[in-house]
Order: sequence, then C-alpha cells, then structure tokens
Amino acid sequence: MNDILTLDLITTIIRISTPLAFAALGGLLTFKAGILNIAMDGFMLMAAFVGVGTAYFTGNLYISVVAAVLSSMILSALFGYFNLKFKANIFIAGTAIGILASGLTAVLLKGVFGQMGVFTAGKVLRFPQYNIPIIKDIPVLRELFSGYTILVYMAYILTPVVSFVLYRTKWGLRVRAVGESPDAAASLGINVFSIKMQTVILSGFFCGLAGAYLSLDYVSLFSRDMTGDRGLIALAAIFFAKGDPVRTVAVTLLFGTAQGLSVRMQLTAGIAPQIMQIIPYFVTMLALIIVGVQAKRKHFNIEATTAR
Amino acid sequence: MANSTNSVAVETRRASRSATAKKITVEIGRPIITIFIALLIGGVIILLMGEDPIFAYGMLFRGAFKGMSNIIATLQNTTPLLYTGLAVSLAFRSNVVNIGVEGQMLFGALAAGIVGYYVHLPWFLHLPLAIAAAGLAGALWAYIPAILKAKLNVNEMVVCLMLNPIAQLITSYISSYPLKAPGPTNKTYDILQTAKLPQFSKSSQFNAGFFIALVLLLIFWYVNNHTKKGYEWELIGQNPSFARYGGINVEKNIVQVFLVSGMIGGLAGAEQALGVYGAFYNGFSPGYGFDGIAVAMLAKFNPLVISLSALLLGALNSGSIVMQMMTSVTRDLVKVLQAIIVLLLAANFTLEMFRKKRKDDETLKKRPKTERKNHE
Repeated sequence: MNDILTLDLITTIIRISTPLAFAALGGLLTFKAGILNIAMDGFMLMAAFVGVGTAYFTGNLYISVVAAVLSSMILSALFGYFNLKFKANIFIAGTAIGILASGLTAVLLKGVFGQMGVFTAGKVLRFPQYNIPIIKDIPVLRELFSGYTILVYMAYILTPVVSFVLYRTKWGLRVRAVGESPDAAASLGINVFSIKMQTVILSGFFCGLAGAYLSLDYVSLFSRDMTGDRGLIALAAIFFAKGDPVRTVAVTLLFGTAQGLSVRMQLTAGIAPQIMQIIPYFVTMLALIIVGVQAKRKHFNIEATTAR
Repeated sequence: MANSTNSVAVETRRASRSATAKKITVEIGRPIITIFIALLIGGVIILLMGEDPIFAYGMLFRGAFKGMSNIIATLQNTTPLLYTGLAVSLAFRSNVVNIGVEGQMLFGALAAGIVGYYVHLPWFLHLPLAIAAAGLAGALWAYIPAILKAKLNVNEMVVCLMLNPIAQLITSYISSYPLKAPGPTNKTYDILQTAKLPQFSKSSQFNAGFFIALVLLLIFWYVNNHTKKGYEWELIGQNPSFARYGGINVEKNIVQVFLVSGMIGGLAGAEQALGVYGAFYNGFSPGYGFDGIAVAMLAKFNPLVISLSALLLGALNSGSIVMQMMTSVTRDLVKVLQAIIVLLLAANFTLEMFRKKRKDDETLKKRPKTERKNHE
C-alpha cells in the first residue's frame, strides 16, 4: 500500500484532475443557470483537436490554447442556440453535439493530417513549469504544490474566482436567479436567454481550457475520443457537490484520484480498473437517490404540517 | 337549405383534406429536408478535404445497395437500429426520455451471452430463453431510472446518463474477468449452437433477429394505434395533467413505458450476441443507443416509419465502409450526418413557429364564417 500513496501520486492526481476541474467550473456556471450541460465532452474534444492542430501549424502553444478555447466557445454557442433559441431538448442536443465533435474531429484527423487514431503536433512543445517562490524551498510542499504548468495553476486559482463571481457579484446573482426561477427573474427585467447563453459560452471557455490542457499539456497529442467521458465525470462531480464551486473542485480531485488509481491498483493490487472507474458514476447515483429521498421526506413533512 | 348544408359539407371535407395533405407534406417534408441539409453540410466537409462529394456519396450508395451481398450487409446494419429506434421512440412518444438504451442493450447482450453458454436445452427452448433473458435484463436495468423517476421524482435523463457508463463498466468487467473466455479478446464464451439466431447469408451476419424486429414494429404499431394502453401512453406524453384528470395513473404508465422500452433495448443486445457475434464482446456497440435516437426522431415515433429511417441510417453505416476505402473520408462522417439530423429535428425552428402562428390567424378569421353558416 505504501508505494501507492506517494508524493508522486498526489502530483499525478492534481494533474489528472485539472481537466475535470476546468470542465466542472464551466458546467457549474450553466448548472447555476438551470442548464444541465452534457455537451462538455464535445466542447473539450473539439478544443483538444484544434489545440494540437494549431500547434502543428504555428508551433506556438499560447496561440494554440487561444484557438482551442475559441473553437470550444463556438461549439458551445451552437449548443446554446439550439437549446435556448430553438428549444431542442437539452439532453438530445447535448448528446448530438458530443457525437458531432467526435465524428468531426475523427473525419478531420484523417482529412487534414492523414491520421486514423493518434496525431502529434510535429516536435513536442512543452509548457514551462513554474515554481512558487517560498514553497519551492520547503521539502514536502515543494513536491506537492510547486512545479506545475500555468494551466494547472489556472484551474485551481479560477475556482475561488468562480465562487466569488457566483456569490458576490451582480452577474452571479442574476445567474442564480435565472436558474432558480426563470419566470421571476424575467419579471424583474432580467434577460433570461442572454444570461443563460452567457453561461453556456463561458462553459465553452472553461471546457476549451480543459481540452487544450489535455492535448497540449497532459499529453502532447490528440487521439480519437481522448476526453473519455471527462465531461460526464465533471457533471457527476457537480451533482455530487450539489453545485458548490469549491466543493465541486474538491470532488473532481476525488474522482481524479479514482481515475489515477485505476491503473496503479491494477498493477500493484490486481484490482480491475473498471472498479475504480465506476466510482464517480456510482457515488453520484447514490447522491441523486439520497437527494431524492430527502426532497420527498421534506415534501411529506410540509404536507403533514399543512394537513394539521 | 339542403343544398347549402351539402356545399358546407363539401367545403369542410375539402378543407380537411387539404389540411391533412398539408400535414402530411409537413410531416414527410421536414425529415427529408433535414436529411438533405445534413448531406449538404457533409458534402461541404468532403469538399473541404479535397474530395469530390458526389463521388464520395456515390461510393457510399454503391457500398450500401450495389449487389446482393451489399444489400444484405445493409439489412444487417439496419437490424440493431430497428430495435434501438423502437425502444427510443416508444419512450419518447410518452415523453419518457430514455437515453439509457445503450446500457439496456449491453445488459441484454450480456444476459443473452450467459444464458446462451451456461444453459443446456434443446434449441426451441434455449433460443427463446436466451432472448427472454436479454429482454428481462434490459427491462430490469431500465427499472432503475423508472422507479427513481416515479417514486422520488429524480430526473430520468440524469440517471440514464450515469447508468450508461456504469453498464458499460460492469459488462466490461464481467466479460474481462469472471466470465472471460480464454484468449486475447475480452468476451464471454461462445454461445452454444442451440441458442444461435439462424443466419441467412455466408457473407454477413444477417440473421433472424431482423424479422423478429419487424414483427415487434408491427406489434407496437398495433398497440400504439388500436389499443387503450397505446392511447394512454400517448396521452401521458402529450398532456400528463389531462391524463391524470382522465383517471390515468401517470406514474404507473411511466414505469411501464420504461420497462417495455428497456426490454426492447435488451432485445437489441440479444440480436447482437445471439445473431451477430455468438458471444458477448466487450465494446461491441459503436453507439447503437444514440443511433436509435436519430432513427426514432426521423420516424416521428411511428413504428412503421422506423423501418425506413433505420434502413436509411443502416445504409449510411454499411455504405460508409466502401466510402472510407475509396476516398480519404472516414466512416465517421456518418456520425456527423447523424448528429446534424438529430440537432435539426430536435430543434423547434422559428419558421415552424411562424407557420403555426399563421395557421392560428387563419382559423381565427375563418371562425365567424362557419359559425354564421351553422346558425343558418
């Protein structure tokens, strides 16, 4: 058990959870506005592809990240438009956007780069690793919190920012109002469509960062369907944490751990990887059931008191 | 007086006939225009890749329909879509958004594979038992979102969303560890000969599952249109509160619809395990559950039309192999086409809203006239 829980593992978990954290932050904004964003895998995949493609043509990582984020935002706008303007069922539209991204990236992978499965952007580009001034001199903390790339820091710095924006700003208040009661919000003069659309496009922004991180930082390549349900796991984390930003990101770390351990557990303890991989979905199912039972009990209590 | 009523009758009959004609053109027109738009966008993508769209689509068509063996292969590709299309459309018709067909199919296939190998019976008992096991497994897996929706009002779509990867991981685990057949692939043991769905061609895995699917479509066309249950299922989709006032137990019906939809999803798995692969193969489905959504929406949830929309998508799937061989356009283009079709069909376009509004205006204008006539 000792060689499983090393400092190195915690670094791995932080890195493996970064795309989950990004996606969860994006999904959280839409969640607060009353939209269940199941298209996040599609956004991420598109960004991952465009990121590697741009890196291949420009050789510049930062331009690639910008291009990746833009592509993801465009796709999210399409999703938002179909759901909010054309009133397409969100689950069907979301699934369709996911399939669209999966198919389109695979077609373009062959069409533009002549590859069937995996594509590397020429010579491998790497983001520089940053060391945090004081922490870099303290032994254990150095290994844990220092020496990551800029995107990793961004994910965890953006967490309190999102929390602040949602709970301490006028815009955040509007988002929450729209999510809790769109009719009441509309009667107060809030443009519900516009606010919802803004959150969807922002979720595209965050998923773009997640996708760019996946294909340009975490690994330096694009492979077919490389997001592997990370958007869904992020959504599960949001449900599990009941939509609280800091808690949600904490849960993504937990789910990231399950992912990170799935390979190691197989090698060291002989536990099938599926058992670790199922944890995020399984605990989220349990959480959904518990929330449902609580809501029902509350409802019963209200009924009982009013009956009296 | 008699003359005037006669002319009114003729007029109304003509009006209703033109209305139904209009309705039919709208009903058929929209899917056809949608398919056309999807092919057009696909053509632009092919063009951008430096290929000739007409040549690529020509290859796709040839691959799907040229020669008996290609036609048979297309029918084989159509078969799973008949099942998943029916499963999705039964549910959607009742506004039960069962997007968990994929998971129900996986469990159906696994159950069929297990019964097909571990049970020893003569074929006339073994095959029906394996099929029944698959249907039961699919229904049981669908019971989870159903009961959570009915008893706790938990959103069935979110539950299905979580249950799909859970089903995928559980069946993957079972076929990779406890029940894995020896060899490099993760699959269960090959089913016994007595549990096999008869195959009809040497060149492909086209099998009796196709005809079972057609019979199911007929059965559910009858149930939908000619039985009380079918009417109830439609009503809870169209207007649940009206249904409730009419004395229909909506929750009970939602559970029933889920169970039936899940059962058919399970049967899709049976066709794959007993007819195509002869075992449960881990990851055998390229996403038939999602294809089912496209099939159902193209058919507007009409069981008879499902045979056409499934054939269309089956032909795309089947013909795209030839397209991929002859051009640099990969089979994934079909996924793009399907996604566009689903997006366009799921959308409620402003054009249609406009059309509805105009129709309302017309009826408003007409009303005083007919009322006047009635008074005469």
